[in-house]
Amino acid sequence: MTEIRFAAPALPKDGALVLPMAEGTAPAGLAAQVDRALSGRLKAALKAARFAGKKGQTATLLAPGAGLSRVIAVGLGKAAELTEDGIEAAGGTAMAALLAGADLAGAIAADLPQGAPKGIDAAAFAARLALGARLRSYRFDRYRTTEKPEDKPALKAATLLGPDPARAKAAYAPLGRIADGVFITRDLVSEPPNVLNPAVMAERCRALGKLGVKVEVMGPRELRRLGFNTLLAVAQGSANEARVVVMRWNGAPRRGRGKGKGGAAPVAFVGKGVTFDTGGISIKPAAGMEDMKWDMAGAGAVVGLMAALAGRKAKVDAVGIVGLVENMPSGTAQRPGDVVKSYSGQTIEVLNTDAEGRLVLADCLWYCQERFKPRFMVDLATLTGAIIISLGHENAGLFASDDTLAAQIIAAGKATGEECWRMPLGDAYDKQLKSDIADMKNIGGRPGGSITAAQFLQRFVNKVPWAHLDIAGVAWQGKDKPAVPKGATAFGVRLLDRLVAEHYESR
Amino acid sequence: MKIRFAPLARPRTGTLVLVLAEGAAGAESGPPLLAALNAESDGAVARSIAAARFAAKAGQVCALLAPPGLGLTRLVLVGAGPAGKLDRLAAERAGGTLAAALDGQAEAAALIAEPPPGAALDAAVFAVALAAGASLRAWRFERYRTRPVPGKDAAAPRLARLDLLVPDRRAAAHAWAAAEAAVAGTLFARDLITEPANRLTPAQFADQLRALRRDGVEVEILPEPRLRKLGFGALLGVGQGSPNRPLLAVLRWRGQGRRARRAAERPGPLAFVGKGVCFDTGGISIKPADRMWEMRADMAGAAAAAGAMLALARRRAPVDAVAVLGLVENAISERALRPSDVVRSLSGKTVEVIDTDAEGRLVLADCLHYAATRFRPAAMVDLATLTGSIVVALGHERAGLFASDAALAAAIAAAGEAVGEPVWPMPLSDAYLEGVRSPIADLRNCHPGRMQPDACHAAIFLRQFAGAVPWAHLDIAGVDTRERADALGPKGAAGWGVRLLDRLSALRFEGEAARPTGRRGRHG
Repeated sequence: MTEIRFAAPALPKDGALVLPMAEGTAPAGLAAQVDRALSGRLKAALKAARFAGKKGQTATLLAPGAGLSRVIAVGLGKAAELTEDGIEAAGGTAMAALLAGADLAGAIAADLPQGAPKGIDAAAFAARLALGARLRSYRFDRYRTTEKPEDKPALKAATLLGPDPARAKAAYAPLGRIADGVFITRDLVSEPPNVLNPAVMAERCRALGKLGVKVEVMGPRELRRLGFNTLLAVAQGSANEARVVVMRWNGAPRRGRGKGKGGAAPVAFVGKGVTFDTGGISIKPAAGMEDMKWDMAGAGAVVGLMAALAGRKAKVDAVGIVGLVENMPSGTAQRPGDVVKSYSGQTIEVLNTDAEGRLVLADCLWYCQERFKPRFMVDLATLTGAIIISLGHENAGLFASDDTLAAQIIAAGKATGEECWRMPLGDAYDKQLKSDIADMKNIGGRPGGSITAAQFLQRFVNKVPWAHLDIAGVAWQGKDKPAVPKGATAFGVRLLDRLVAEHYESR
Repeated sequence: MKIRFAPLARPRTGTLVLVLAEGAAGAESGPPLLAALNAESDGAVARSIAAARFAAKAGQVCALLAPPGLGLTRLVLVGAGPAGKLDRLAAERAGGTLAAALDGQAEAAALIAEPPPGAALDAAVFAVALAAGASLRAWRFERYRTRPVPGKDAAAPRLARLDLLVPDRRAAAHAWAAAEAAVAGTLFARDLITEPANRLTPAQFADQLRALRRDGVEVEILPEPRLRKLGFGALLGVGQGSPNRPLLAVLRWRGQGRRARRAAERPGPLAFVGKGVCFDTGGISIKPADRMWEMRADMAGAAAAAGAMLALARRRAPVDAVAVLGLVENAISERALRPSDVVRSLSGKTVEVIDTDAEGRLVLADCLHYAATRFRPAAMVDLATLTGSIVVALGHERAGLFASDAALAAAIAAAGEAVGEPVWPMPLSDAYLEGVRSPIADLRNCHPGRMQPDACHAAIFLRQFAGAVPWAHLDIAGVDTRERADALGPKGAAGWGVRLLDRLSALRFEGEAARPTGRRGRHG
């Protein structure tokens, strides 16, 4: 992955240079220098390319002279309308352009456009460009053995050229840690299911120990003893044993002396980690089943989030719990019609073994609220196909028992480009879970399928403020976005990091 | 069913109904009348309540036949749930519950319509809600029954009259006039929706609409040649496969009076637009045979808009309202629209038809453009049984609300909550526009892929035809039909939307409160 550096603005002697430019502005700063060095050919080229600085627009000059291999103009949109999200997108577009060439080193000019909103200073501008660039540089090529060198990205480092590199670097430091978390999640989600089974994923969680996260891994024996029966019922068809991992980051300042528990209740995140979901005996159709390797994207996001919080030493106490299982059909698999007794004591009639995520989460949620008495719980899960038919790939489905928490999540999503749309809960939907022989069944039917799934989860949150993000439509994308290359998105890491940063950290 | 209001008095014969609150249904804990009835029956009332485990929970009914010492044929106790939670909607459900319980038992009944102690509900409102609930629940559609249903007692009495005994008869009767209008609109819509497609072609639908003239609604029918001349290319494309020719119906209610204000100062009317696909086979992109018969109800949006116009007219609502209904049949034939055909809509925008079963949005596209440009409405609301996707998203509990105007959306949501027709806001965003961009035309009518957010795609598609008018779209595919009987209606057509639109008008567009959403007029 590409290294990100910061340096004072000076025209590079060689390599590629990206010039982010606001809409309707003449080249300024480094861009003006480039134009002079090229005897006005930058302006001429931009005119020829009808480059106006609109969002997402680019124009490339090949071998323009002055020793440069390429000069690439990237549009920022109107200066007055700049947002963090928009700057990151420009940084991502810049990185994509740099990666497309043969250069080993590239530079990105970080001249804050005139007329940018007050909240954005030069350092923040450079840092956000850097974050976007870093996020876009992600590549998962662990299993490519025959790729020709010329097909691999050549770029080793990208340097942000701005007025105060030290301040920009300091502003970038926590953002870089968030990007590290995002990459952990993207790696986990991209790994194939024969590699990433529950035990292997639990080992990857243990690696967070070096960031200061306390990691506990529970195996089947302990889970059986505790009574995680619904989670184990999902796992029982697989040769790969289940794990539940509890990760704790205690970053809130401790009050007074001694190690007293002192601080407020932690915030808690719970993730569905089905490392592969065949559907079980209620087996899925073959077409598209390979996508089910990312049925652990909720858990993957929780792991990346904990890494981000610990990495940037967030002043918060946070708990992350992931339920890791593989849902396989076999002689030992659970059957449609089985009744299981959940950790909470409530019984569930399993009418469809492919509605397994909620079974995994049921035990994890109840355990989480019982053990940690958190301020809130947010769970993430690739839970239903219905949410894709409801909201597509543009929005995750947000279900919440608490309006304040919901509003905070929606705002954090907007700020990070991980957008959520609130969906309803209500008794009329809850009723659809009535079972003939148990406390509830695990499916409510096709109509309102995502809502009844959320109602099911709500039966296990025991009045703790709670939100559920159904990320089935947003965990993976088929097309590149400026700061998110196609593939695993790590949806939720940045959103929830932002949620914590905005509302739940000590100042 | 006949509703009458009479002064509070204790009937000594026939059927008497009492509505009781949960926890106040005992001879001791209940209202004085219950105690008196119990005493006169020598404790039989209390014993019956205990024997039936009647606790006056919502939906519970306890019927005492020929209770001793009271002279009554029947004493019926109806549960309304806790008094603290007894709002208008709960009272409507109690009214519906009693109508369902009495039907087949009695021809007429007297009902003590006094709010139970502890209920924060005006007596007239309570009585009217009971009457509305009972009327909605008592609706039946029996036009095509030519002989008694085998196994059912043909002589069983039909509940035909409800006498509500109220403290203030005039107040109740006055309040009922407005409520009755909305009930009538709802039942009109249910009748239309239930009519089979061979009895309700576009032309026959138009005939039924002409009957609204009796109530003062202006009815204008634009026949196919006229639509062709005007350029309704999208709507006509849908209709071209059927020998039952498409029509456009325009209904107007001028409740503000022509002299009320100078024309220039008058805000535009409140406009309703309805999808009226009298039968939807899907066309060449034909639907599976399973449950295709339900597609006779694919005109429920148009029916609701028409019902709302009837409601406004019946209660002489001080509002200018207009309804534009696109009436077509989506048939399959050698003349039918093909997948990949490109049609030119009334707006001039071209649409590539990817799936002929995504036809409702083609019909609405032209209707919306027509309504927006001809009437310059203050607000425009369309209703359509548009997508299966909305059923997957919201089930049968809520309709999907897509709106270009936040104030209008909030008013619709409030109206829906008030009348028990709840909606849920769904995203209307240009992010979904990608899904309906065509490689060869201005738009395509849907995304060709599997697992698509079709409701969101359809809404942003419609947005392209609504112009600058504050606009909202209600996708009612999940709520137009009751899957099973409930307190406010039998299984079948729900007439969903009539009461919501009527309430929306009352909340926001009538009399003193009437004001346009969005920008003010030049003279404002």
